[in-house]
Amino acid sequence: MTHPRQIKELAAIFVLLACLGGSALAQIPLSEFEQALADIPVSDISGHLGALELGLGQPGFPDSEMLQLIEKLAGAPDPTPEKEALLSGVFIALEEGLPVDGLVTKALEGLARGIGVEQIRASLQQRLTLLTETRDLLYAAGIFSVAPGSPQSVPTAIPTPRFNVLVTHISDTIADYLEGGGSPFEGQTLYQEVRFRLISLEGATLVAEDVDLVLRRVEPADLTRVALSAVT
Amino acid sequence: MNQHEFDDLLRNTLREEVDEMRPTLIGLEERVTTELGERQPRLRVSDWLRQLLAPTRGGRIGQFSVVAATAAVCLLIGFAVATQSGLTGGAPGIRLTPSRSADGNQEVLFVLPALDATDVSIVGNFNAWEPTALSDDDDDGIWMASIPLPPGRYEYAFVIDGRWWGQDPLADEYVQSYGEYSSVRYVGGGDGA
Repeated sequence: MTHPRQIKELAAIFVLLACLGGSALAQIPLSEFEQALADIPVSDISGHLGALELGLGQPGFPDSEMLQLIEKLAGAPDPTPEKEALLSGVFIALEEGLPVDGLVTKALEGLARGIGVEQIRASLQQRLTLLTETRDLLYAAGIFSVAPGSPQSVPTAIPTPRFNVLVTHISDTIADYLEGGGSPFEGQTLYQEVRFRLISLEGATLVAEDVDLVLRRVEPADLTRVALSAVT
Repeated sequence: MNQHEFDDLLRNTLREEVDEMRPTLIGLEERVTTELGERQPRLRVSDWLRQLLAPTRGGRIGQFSVVAATAAVCLLIGFAVATQSGLTGGAPGIRLTPSRSADGNQEVLFVLPALDATDVSIVGNFNAWEPTALSDDDDDGIWMASIPLPPGRYEYAFVIDGRWWGQDPLADEYVQSYGEYSSVRYVGGGDGA
């Protein structure tokens, strides 16, 4: 005879599996990306698909926005090499395990505003540099990322999704600051900008202890160094 | 004339002077008081409040009563206004503060006055920069849309008859993007900000 508690456990497992199955089904298959890339058409389709496959395996990968971006690029009047160069920036980020949602949405914004693909690519290139440098800055500050569920080797290791959100917001703040005409040499101002954004997002997309960790370990001069890397 | 004689002469002369002026001095105090009363400036509201709140023999109970009564009136007016505009949730109307749904999303209201516009929409990083239409059901030129959003930071712009406009007065901040302004709204998490 089945115990009521066992029934509850079985039900919970069933619901969990259904959710996992549902989310897997919800993800856009690689074949759709392949079709969209063929419409541009790109030269290195296998290389791009490999990067996309990596992305699809990452938590929080913006698959529908990514597909939208490829489809919009296919319809843009700009030369194919420029379109491929823009996409390459996103694919490089994917291969390096960097969060790409900010890059994808920035590219979509540019296309919606009617900005030329080459100008969008340049903007994305700057943001890609900032993403890389910001991640390296956090590593240098002793803030690491660990896969969710893995044992925490050091107290300052943050689960990867949380770490990626931090990297995205810090690098986006620096990018916005530079795009707004801010000087990379005004480290204190830059620090206050980053501080404001991180604190504003505490409890929303950021965990308060992560924000506190960053603000304690990162200094204005560090942010100047990151900003300079994107403008030189 | 010695000193004593001089003093007597001076005293008598002054007495005679006073005696001559005496009729004009009768009722002087009353006349001055009346004239000052007529010249007194009109009491301003600030003076009236100061007098009202000044310490009295009865202690400060009187002052507290005045403050409490004023606060009560303000609260009543505020409640009446909020009820009229639906802010309390008790009546249908415009909801300015985000309300949270069961899935954690918050209904965020975007409002834009555009009196002569025929088509208004909003684009942002929450809809992949694809237009979401705002509506003006009562044709008063106030366009609005309520969009469910998870907690986060959102960049957006309004599109008014095809033209982008990124300076929403209700935005939390603005950023420059591709040389143009975008508005930013923070949708809170645990604190409901």
